[in-house]
Amino acid sequence: MASQKDTTGKGKILIMATENCAYPGANSVGQAHSTYPANTYIIRVRAPVLFPEQFYLDCFKKGISGIIIMSCGEECPYEGAYHALAKRIDRVYQLMKENGLDIRRLRLTSICTVCNRAFLKEVNDMNELISELGPPVLDKAA
Amino acid sequence: MSTNQEKKATGEQKKVGIYICHCGGNISDHVDVEKLAENVKDLDGVAVVHTNTFMCSDPGQELIQNDIRDGKVNRVVVASCAPSLHELTFRGAIKRAGMNPYLYEHANIREQVSWVHHGDQATEKATGLVAGAVAKALRLQPLEPIRVEARRHATVIGAGVAGLRAACDLACRGLEVALIEKSPFIGGRTASLGRLVPTGEQAEEVITQIAAKAMANDKVTIYSCTEVVGFEGFVGNFRLTLKRKPPEEPYSAAEPQKIRMDHLEKGEFLPAAGIFPGDVPDKEQEIFLETGAIVMATGFRSYVPGEGEYGYLHSDKVITLAELVELIARYPDRRGRFLQVKGKPVRRMAFIHCVGSRQIPGIHEPDQDGRLNEYCSRTCCAATLQAAVQIRSSFPETQIFDFYRDIRTYGRGQEEVYREASRQRVTFFRFEPEDPPRVQKSSGGKFPLLVSVKDTLTFGEQIDVPVDLVVLATGMEPTPIKELVEMMKLPVGADGFLQEVHPKLRPVEVANTGILLAGTCQAPMDVGEACNAAQAAAAKTTAMLARGYVELDPFVARVDPERCKGTGLCREACPIEGAIELKERQVDGKTVVQAQITPALCTGCGICVAVCPSRALDINGWTLEQYEAMVDAIVAA
Amino acid sequence: MKETLRLQYDALVIGGGIAGLQSALDLADQDFKVAVIEKDATIGGKMIRLSKVFPTLDCASCITTPKMAAAAHHDNIDLFTYCEVNSLDRSQGRLKASITQKPRYVDPDKCIGCRQCEYQCPVYVPDQEQGGFNLRKAVYIPFSNAIPQLALIDVEHCALCGKCAKVCPTEAIDYFQQPEDFVIEAKTAVLATGFKLTPMDQKKEYGQGQIPNVISSLQMERLLAPHGPYQRVIRPSDGKEPDSIAYVQCAGSRDLSLGISYCSRVCCMYAIKQAMLLSGALPLADITIYYMDIRAFGKGYEQFFQNAKAMGIEFVKAKVGRIEQGENHNVLLRIEEQEGDGRVVRREHDLVVLSLGMVPDWNPAGICPVGTGDDAFIKCVRPKLAPTLTEMEGVFVAGVAAGPKDIVDTIAEAGAAAMEASNYLNSSASGRAA
Repeated sequence: MASQKDTTGKGKILIMATENCAYPGANSVGQAHSTYPANTYIIRVRAPVLFPEQFYLDCFKKGISGIIIMSCGEECPYEGAYHALAKRIDRVYQLMKENGLDIRRLRLTSICTVCNRAFLKEVNDMNELISELGPPVLDKAA
Repeated sequence: MSTNQEKKATGEQKKVGIYICHCGGNISDHVDVEKLAENVKDLDGVAVVHTNTFMCSDPGQELIQNDIRDGKVNRVVVASCAPSLHELTFRGAIKRAGMNPYLYEHANIREQVSWVHHGDQATEKATGLVAGAVAKALRLQPLEPIRVEARRHATVIGAGVAGLRAACDLACRGLEVALIEKSPFIGGRTASLGRLVPTGEQAEEVITQIAAKAMANDKVTIYSCTEVVGFEGFVGNFRLTLKRKPPEEPYSAAEPQKIRMDHLEKGEFLPAAGIFPGDVPDKEQEIFLETGAIVMATGFRSYVPGEGEYGYLHSDKVITLAELVELIARYPDRRGRFLQVKGKPVRRMAFIHCVGSRQIPGIHEPDQDGRLNEYCSRTCCAATLQAAVQIRSSFPETQIFDFYRDIRTYGRGQEEVYREASRQRVTFFRFEPEDPPRVQKSSGGKFPLLVSVKDTLTFGEQIDVPVDLVVLATGMEPTPIKELVEMMKLPVGADGFLQEVHPKLRPVEVANTGILLAGTCQAPMDVGEACNAAQAAAAKTTAMLARGYVELDPFVARVDPERCKGTGLCREACPIEGAIELKERQVDGKTVVQAQITPALCTGCGICVAVCPSRALDINGWTLEQYEAMVDAIVAA
Repeated sequence: MKETLRLQYDALVIGGGIAGLQSALDLADQDFKVAVIEKDATIGGKMIRLSKVFPTLDCASCITTPKMAAAAHHDNIDLFTYCEVNSLDRSQGRLKASITQKPRYVDPDKCIGCRQCEYQCPVYVPDQEQGGFNLRKAVYIPFSNAIPQLALIDVEHCALCGKCAKVCPTEAIDYFQQPEDFVIEAKTAVLATGFKLTPMDQKKEYGQGQIPNVISSLQMERLLAPHGPYQRVIRPSDGKEPDSIAYVQCAGSRDLSLGISYCSRVCCMYAIKQAMLLSGALPLADITIYYMDIRAFGKGYEQFFQNAKAMGIEFVKAKVGRIEQGENHNVLLRIEEQEGDGRVVRREHDLVVLSLGMVPDWNPAGICPVGTGDDAFIKCVRPKLAPTLTEMEGVFVAGVAAGPKDIVDTIAEAGAAAMEASNYLNSSASGRAA
């Protein structure tokens, strides 16, 4: 892997990681001492379905360059939450388009507790993307 | 129980203490801890910043406690390892110092910083995470655990040796126990084992003993021929729907034996089937059960070799160890010159180890579900050698050849069995997984089968061993319980077995509170190990239910009556029936409809939070406002 | 003459390692009152002295300290450290343990663990807690995460200079402290007395501990520990970073010449674990494990072993016949290869680790009527259905005291012993226990 100085982009990436799957998954990457871009800020959540559409737009408005929602996917311990989340994210994408935001800045993924490779791929991809896109600019006041 | 009454923290000036752990170099080798302390000390609301080599140690915890007792801090942020390791440690420390344990936030700067980033970047990221944690800490409210009345009743699923063991122990401690078994017999797989290693005890006697004990205990209700078809509720108050139905008559688990249940007496042992618990249902019935905790004891099944795997099914002279054990158990004459199998003397026989165990991607073929059993099944080496010794001592002219990868006679007294096998002149060949022995029908010759191997014990020499019988030491696979896993949302590991929270911290619990693991549903084990696991699970269950109540995390939804407009959108969105209800309330002489939460049912997923147009809902300890503040802090850092 | 102190508990746990702590916690959580007796000055046993633990590679301290702290702070548990059990008898349905509190020469009620004494003490002694590689003082706290955090004086080495007494802010130093006997009465007991490593001086062919760069596996644990003696891995004789490290498996296990016939169950896995940690710490070093059979039988262990192979750790099926001092501080192994052409060959390594086995750390003979097996570990009378039952009524056994086992199996067995003990407590009033 190239040195981190080269790979870490300028913008910040917010990662919403579920406490049952993705958050321990991120810890598993740590236990393996695999390195990844340091502009990634992992926030532990119970279920990302908690966030309303506006939350995501606000994050971009505040200057967050990319958001990865690392859910439990179908393994979600909360009944019905994953499908509700998927629907919500569709609506967020709609709002992002209306605001002129590249919808690739928001990723919905599922990461398991031992999904080290998937985790690394997601953060590296997002990092590359935001390096390419630069800081987010919203067309109109969201 | 702490009787400390919290002063209401709102209104009081919020003073955050930040405690940064070096983790003995684990963190401080990559994060400049002193610089980090410097970076965060002037953040809004921060009163003190301390660093320590091991924050989790007693002196580290005391550092925090002293600051609390001295009134220096009323919110605590610890920056250390993953919260799964020490969040509870620090909450406990804070509680002992007289502060509400939920006025605590954890910053993970080891697994998510020092172990993955290096240099200035690591310190920078740690700063962001700690700043986020401080922002959240400033918005934390004191919380109290939710106390739920718990039924002093436990359900054990599976009446093998682990299930029986757990049921007896739970009953002994005064709990009512429902023991659920899908077959008409109890005793599980132990009923089909022969002599147990290394004591040589008959499995039949062992399993009959514990089964008798369970049957004699009037606190244990045995539901044979029963499956769990419905599951709901939560720790202390699970509700199960059971379906009990008549077995197919005659019952034929033990081919080729056909068993007629009406001839059986309660407590009677049938080889390979188990112990008859006394009755079989004559018609299908549904049973509803209210129970406080559930012990999973669903056990294992033997790996079934694929067609042609070491000649299996291509020759009836290739059998599994389980089949051999059964043959020996039913052997009419326990001695002789030669072991007789299917009416023929066995002059030479071969054992092949690791069949369906220790499979390696790229070498072994996955099964139809794409699964490989990469694990060691732990019990087969000793069981194989035990059978070999037994045959060699009873049938001195039957020669035995043993093909292995590693002999794993790890347990107490097992090495002696291995030594005895060598002394009895069992011939050993060692093979590498990429060059397994090949079993072929021999063309002509005196023996029907030929086992060829590249033997690494004799410098990789190619050796051909003609034999009458090949016995495959097949491994363990978890009993397929897909329906239970889906219904109860049980965690399953990559190996297909049920997955504990942590092998050392919480080895017999799964993430779902109130559900425990006993025996081989978790991993391969022998009878003694399964009993140990079952007793450990019973101890945990007893600790949970004995008081008659369970305390749960307070992270559930709450409604702000000032904001709730009674739209009912939350109730529509909520996936749990009964968790949110609309209730009429009197406000200023007017009747308003507002949402109301049943905390014991609420799972705290937060689906309601997002749909409320007036932001009247939040999850205790995980509020939207807290998240927004964290994002602000991360952006600013 | 003051009267002997008599204390009453429901359960007595002998041994404050991971097994004893788990048993104590599982009993205390069921609302029984528990006393834990530990002969060392700190609880935590062998586990707290390890670097990381297989197969999760969690740091040992991170897993042990929560249990240590939970036991130390539990309302139903009292810890008695630095104590010896002289006898354990049963009479009139109760167990009576006669115990001696060994003198720390530091008043435990006054000591605040500030370590001022330690900083002032002029005497340096090899620190066995750091594999003997570091020095400690003659007055010391065992290690940073010890519980309790109380200093003690090593009288063998103390020069009685008085500096510690002078500097102690609480006047806790007491050179005249005497051993104190007391009695604990309980209804049931759990023996969790653990193990020690097979002594290195037993085997002549392996140099009897006299070859400088032949170290024990526990010494390697310290070299690998984050708070170890050098904070990095170097060999003891000359501080060189080793380029080639060898593990000699079954050193003191499965060896009839030592009278130890059994397998110690953990050595394969800890050697593999150490090898993995070493290849992280010294990426260029060659690591070889000389073994008879790799016994990776626990949950996730085989996968761990296969990962180690994939990482390039060399596994050689061979018996190590002799270990000798080589040139340039190196170590010569004479090995009988069991694969390949089977010759006796000599191989040279910079550092050799003996994967030592386990022997019991406690013999009940003369203390209590609990029998032992041929292997000298405590005898289990019903190894299948109730593996923790001993020959003595109401007395149960957990962990390595009942034969070698790894931490996972030890913790399960400790839970089982707690279950048996609580069953016994429950039914001792109403008749025979289960």
